[in-house]
Amino acid sequence: MANNNKNKLLILLIIISLQACTIISPNWLKINGISPCWPVILLLPFSLKNRPWKAAIASILLGIFIDAFTISDVSYIPSLFLLSLIWSVYGLHNKKIQLYLNIGLMAIFGTALVGLSIWVQKIILYNVLRNNWFHSWSIYVLISEVIITGLVAPFFSSWILFASNKN
Amino acid sequence: MIKARGKIGFYLLLKSRFWVIFLFGALLFGIRWTKGAGYLDLYSILLKPILPGTAQREWIKEGENIERNIRLKLLEDDNSRLRRALSLKEFNSDQRISAAVISRSSRNWWQQLEINKGSKDGVLKGDTVIGPGGLIGLVDSTTPLTARVRLLTDPGHQIGAWIDRTKHHGILTGMGTNRPKLIFLNKNILVKTGDAVTTSPASTLLPPNLTIGIVQFVNEKALPSPYAIVQLTASPEAIDWVQILKNNGQ
Repeated sequence: MANNNKNKLLILLIIISLQACTIISPNWLKINGISPCWPVILLLPFSLKNRPWKAAIASILLGIFIDAFTISDVSYIPSLFLLSLIWSVYGLHNKKIQLYLNIGLMAIFGTALVGLSIWVQKIILYNVLRNNWFHSWSIYVLISEVIITGLVAPFFSSWILFASNKN
Repeated sequence: MIKARGKIGFYLLLKSRFWVIFLFGALLFGIRWTKGAGYLDLYSILLKPILPGTAQREWIKEGENIERNIRLKLLEDDNSRLRRALSLKEFNSDQRISAAVISRSSRNWWQQLEINKGSKDGVLKGDTVIGPGGLIGLVDSTTPLTARVRLLTDPGHQIGAWIDRTKHHGILTGMGTNRPKLIFLNKNILVKTGDAVTTSPASTLLPPNLTIGIVQFVNEKALPSPYAIVQLTASPEAIDWVQILKNNGQ
């Protein structure tokens, strides 16, 4: 009963922190003005601890939620869905993923995939963006986002993973 | 004997006030020659502590500003009268709402601002948002208490722009960087670096003559149409307060 309550509290905390990080986007957690990829940080521990179908549903819900805070038709859902399946399968085969480096690397991979997906979607949706100016800027954003997420994820994701393991 | 007379003559010269008169004369000559420069310099040095200083400068500046504001008001009135005569859209500066930026994402995949005024204050989708320096973006969506502003730099965001010097239209397209791309509609554009980019005076979607930026680079040989890179005059990264032009200032 107590464990169940702790789990609920953890989920509530995750939801609140996700909302706060997405809306506030604190300046001290930015690199070159680019904030970490929060959906990746939160989806990673959840996917590692749950079955693929659960992770996939969570990724779609998370994607819908994050998309509500962004403009234009580009969506997080396709990349998050793919990542949730990959991480979930990986989590089933590797039961003890608690290494900070491991989490960081997975977050880097996930952020790169999310970034690439947004980049491709934007190119498909807006013909006018098929030029070098946009591509060079996209590479810059992608690298910055990957670096900051890779730095932040080992702390946040590992903490969530560790807390859920304890429960 | 002759030596003694000479000595006596020299003695008399010193003894009499010849040198005093000579020096006085030289001084007068010097004053005349320099047109009283020494006197005037001395006068200015003596006067310095009691001269009106920065306060006077501020008064003058304030006066100049008031004069400029009056002239600007007259020109605006004149402009709106002429626009009315030509049946063009008018720009009403009284329809402005000030709003604070509560969240900023100006360098990410999505370049947007969240401001603390929404539909409850009369903000509508498509309203123009300006900051110190000029146009920042357009309202993308509203909630009762907040509004989301899509910045001009957001990739794929397009608005009509105008170069006043050459009277050429173009489409300002966000590229993600701080410098959007102005794609021209004609071939022979004659645009130069440093030209001011504004909203079109004949625009029906945006308020007329709003400053957007300055042309920084021009590629006249680009295909299918020439383009220019524009440096925005308003920097969304540094702006904490913005103004929304209600109904686009009409």
